[in-house]
Amino acid sequence: MWRQLRPIALVAVLGFASPAGAVEGTRAFFPALEAERGRLVINGATDIEAMEPLIRDFQETARDVAIDYTDYVTNDLYRDADIACRLKQPFGDLLLSSSVDQLVKLANDGCALAHVSPETRDVPAWANWRDEVFGFTFEPSVMVYHKDFVPPEDVPHTHGELTDLLRFKPDYYRGRIGTYDLRQSGIGYLLAFLDAQQASTTYGRLLESLSRAEAVLRCCNNAVLSELDSGNVYIGYNILGSYAYAAARRNGKLRIVLPRDYTLILSRGALVPTGAKRPELAGRFLDYLLSERGQDVAREKAFFFSRSGALPAEVDGPEKLVESGIGRPIRIGPALLAAQDRLQRSRFIDDWTKLIVDTPVRLRPN
Amino acid sequence: MKRRETSLFWRLVLRVALVLCGGATLLSAAAWYYARAAADDAYDRLLLGAAIQITANMTVDAGNLGVTLPSSAFELLGLAERDRIFYRVVGPDGRTLTGYDDLDIGINVTAARAGPVFLTTEYRNVPVRVAVVSRALSDPSFSGWAYVVMAQTTEARRGLAGELTTRAMILVGIMSLLALAGTVLAIRYSLLPVDALAATLRARDPQDLTPVEADMPRELKPFVGSINHFMGRLDERVTLLQRFIADAAHQIRTPLTALSAQVDMLEDDDLDVNRKRHLGRVRDRVSQLARLTNQLLSHAMVIHRSDSVRFKPVDLGDIARKAFRSTVPITVDPDVVVSFEDSAEPVFVRGDAVSLREAIANIIDNALQHGVEQRLAVRVRREDDRALVEVADDGPGIPPAEWAAVTTRFVSSKMGEGSMGLGFAIAAEVALAHRGTVRFLEKGGRDFTVILDVPLYREGT
Amino acid sequence: MRIFLVEDTRDVGEAISRRLEKVGHTVDWQTDGQAAADILEFTDYDLVILDVMLPGLDGFEILRHLRARKKTTPVLVLTARSEIEDRVGALDLGADDYLVKPFDFRELEARTRVLLRRRQGDPTNLIECGDLVLDRNSRSVRVGNREVQLKRREITLLEVLAARPGRVFSKDELLDRLFGFDENVNPNAVELYVGRLRKKIEGSSVRIVTIRGLGYQLVADEAA
Repeated sequence: MWRQLRPIALVAVLGFASPAGAVEGTRAFFPALEAERGRLVINGATDIEAMEPLIRDFQETARDVAIDYTDYVTNDLYRDADIACRLKQPFGDLLLSSSVDQLVKLANDGCALAHVSPETRDVPAWANWRDEVFGFTFEPSVMVYHKDFVPPEDVPHTHGELTDLLRFKPDYYRGRIGTYDLRQSGIGYLLAFLDAQQASTTYGRLLESLSRAEAVLRCCNNAVLSELDSGNVYIGYNILGSYAYAAARRNGKLRIVLPRDYTLILSRGALVPTGAKRPELAGRFLDYLLSERGQDVAREKAFFFSRSGALPAEVDGPEKLVESGIGRPIRIGPALLAAQDRLQRSRFIDDWTKLIVDTPVRLRPN
Repeated sequence: MKRRETSLFWRLVLRVALVLCGGATLLSAAAWYYARAAADDAYDRLLLGAAIQITANMTVDAGNLGVTLPSSAFELLGLAERDRIFYRVVGPDGRTLTGYDDLDIGINVTAARAGPVFLTTEYRNVPVRVAVVSRALSDPSFSGWAYVVMAQTTEARRGLAGELTTRAMILVGIMSLLALAGTVLAIRYSLLPVDALAATLRARDPQDLTPVEADMPRELKPFVGSINHFMGRLDERVTLLQRFIADAAHQIRTPLTALSAQVDMLEDDDLDVNRKRHLGRVRDRVSQLARLTNQLLSHAMVIHRSDSVRFKPVDLGDIARKAFRSTVPITVDPDVVVSFEDSAEPVFVRGDAVSLREAIANIIDNALQHGVEQRLAVRVRREDDRALVEVADDGPGIPPAEWAAVTTRFVSSKMGEGSMGLGFAIAAEVALAHRGTVRFLEKGGRDFTVILDVPLYREGT
Repeated sequence: MRIFLVEDTRDVGEAISRRLEKVGHTVDWQTDGQAAADILEFTDYDLVILDVMLPGLDGFEILRHLRARKKTTPVLVLTARSEIEDRVGALDLGADDYLVKPFDFRELEARTRVLLRRRQGDPTNLIECGDLVLDRNSRSVRVGNREVQLKRREITLLEVLAARPGRVFSKDELLDRLFGFDENVNPNAVELYVGRLRKKIEGSSVRIVTIRGLGYQLVADEAA
């Protein structure tokens, strides 16, 4: 319960206790530490909780910059950004999203400004497209389970094991497995699309299993995690490692597993839109995110995983995630355009919907 | 304004450099052209491959055309890391199935039925390369042509073309530099004979009129031939002239002696003062004429000998004494102390006795005519590796400013009366032929000295 | 003295004859070379003045003949200094002296005199006194390597003084010795000649000392 109260408490604390941040719905304002000389507008599909430590630390380095942060759902962020781009209107100085395919589409449509700096030059090639879309995190897509409810022999270590688990213990796990609603979640769609690419047979069978198990569908990571917290759901699938780890830190009963057959690794994207009013401030923030200091803060307080570092404690996963070949970083590049093709997307989501949403309803005993 | 000298070397180098530059430019242009074509070719295949993959994934399902866009097609195109991709799938009815609806840029889809069509155009303000691939669909419920329009920006292409061109240009540049360096060396080497010829000519004695003998390339032969021809003619002229002078002087001798004889026989006792004076003048002029004639002859002989007579080791002291004897008349003023001082050891020089005698005789004669008042001393000595014959008199001497001019012909230090004549000039020429000089010592406290300075004879030189 | 002149140019021959005859010599003048050679066969002279360029026989030929017959007659050659003549060298062929045309007639006369005197046979050619050497042949006095030319009378004066070093000769004595009895001479001439001689022997260890009222003596300094 305390977990659910946290956002409200945050409002209360922040609203009454300090002038440091005021939350209006999904919007947060971080005033400059000294006299404000610039205001950076960030539209992000990233939890404010995760971004806050980074924003605050950035302001230590840029004491005259105020930050206006609005939290979006990925699909909404993309839609608004696309419209603004077509109409040539401004929509924030910096866009952050876990749906990197959407950012790549925006960049491909010519809606992004290039930014080059010493920090950007250090970014690996798969996390940088055209110096317009940068991946600034390193987040594996993990499975989360509640250890009280999932016995050790049940713990799935691969996609196949999950599928089998759901098939062999249908009653136990019916309605107890949670994942994204692809209709609402952009990142959910992307992860599913990539799952289908990585191992289509496995994906098909998993989908079938999820359908039969009457999977619980939610819009976002935190929604799934809160279900896990409350014990409604025993296993969360395709959860972003950062959120999962934050949740696990709060609730010691939650455990994280990196699937050993393959693990998709998301690098959350940042983009400076063409309509940005303060692109130079956006560039500074971007540089900060990519810098060693920013990465350190990210690893310790925000995203917990990093490409160079080892897995955080108590995470069940392979020793060397990327070198072993198990970790599959999602390449930020034009290949993601296939995911963003409207026909492709609508067909994929249709197929998924038919299987996961419609069928269980149909099959549920009345 | 001084005209700038042209240099054969630089002319050649410049022209070769120009040609190489021109060639390099042409090659670079060709390289750029081919690089572009190659880059286009390479990336066109990617474009085509992606388009074909998409056409391959077209399906007809219940009368509806559907297409699954394979990620691999985009990954293929993603090999051009920075380029943006635009695409459009068009059904037989002309409707856009998916992709960028406005990717409609004057494409002749009919032409694409025969085979893939490529074109370069602009889309969304950037240049793009477009491939159009068609597929004929024949399904019982559905038939017609479907098209895939695949476009990609050209950054990678340009990059590749640029890189290829740059590499080619570097190679061309290196080759050109090597060629230029090689050519410069070759030109320098080839022009060596010219330098050698110049050096040979420079090293020659200015007096030397013998033909130039040297190894030289065919192209220079006309020049040297000309020089030699000219020198030959000059030599002939000089010889003829000298011979003429010699002959003339010779011819004059007899009438001159006769004239002198007549003048000698003229009794001046009966003459009045004026006539006596005139007679005196006549005697002086006859005497002057005689001297000049002798000098002319002396000179002609000396010149002639320098060509034909071989040098031998000769005793300079002996020669000087002979010159002294023949030049100092017995009738010299008795109040003048005339002395001859030989050196302790014999002084040998490599030369011609007759010319040396003439030279010394002329110097002594000059002193007698113009210098001597009370004293005339002739000394022969050696100093280091030089042999010296010094003629010193206590007369007024010649001022230093005139020393250079005096050794050229017919310069008179006093105008009119008693001109120097050829004397010093003859001595100077003889000295030069013996690799020595005639020099002067300024009248210090005592005497004005004229010195004939020639190198000592050394065994084996 | 009897002088034989071989010269084909009339003006020159005439001038030479006149001069020499004026002094008192007898001059036989021949213009043809061959004729001259024939005459020389049979006649002896005190001096031969020989022009080289002659019609008929060449001057050098005549000279050669003369010397071939061992005649020691002094010969003065008048040379035109052409190539051939110079190569050979008149003196090498046996001439005693030569003059180049055109020449000074007074010089000719002077050299003639010298040659004639030589003929008179002075046996002593070298006289030494102190570090001084008197050389009659070259008409000079020598100290070390240095020769100074002397005139006839200067030579005579030095001979007289050097014959008796230390002895004082009076002016009159010297006058007699130098000039003979017939000539009208200025008594100061002795002083003049002594002065000239003094100048010319300067630098040697020999000096001429004037003793006032008595005369002159030759003194040789002892080497230090």
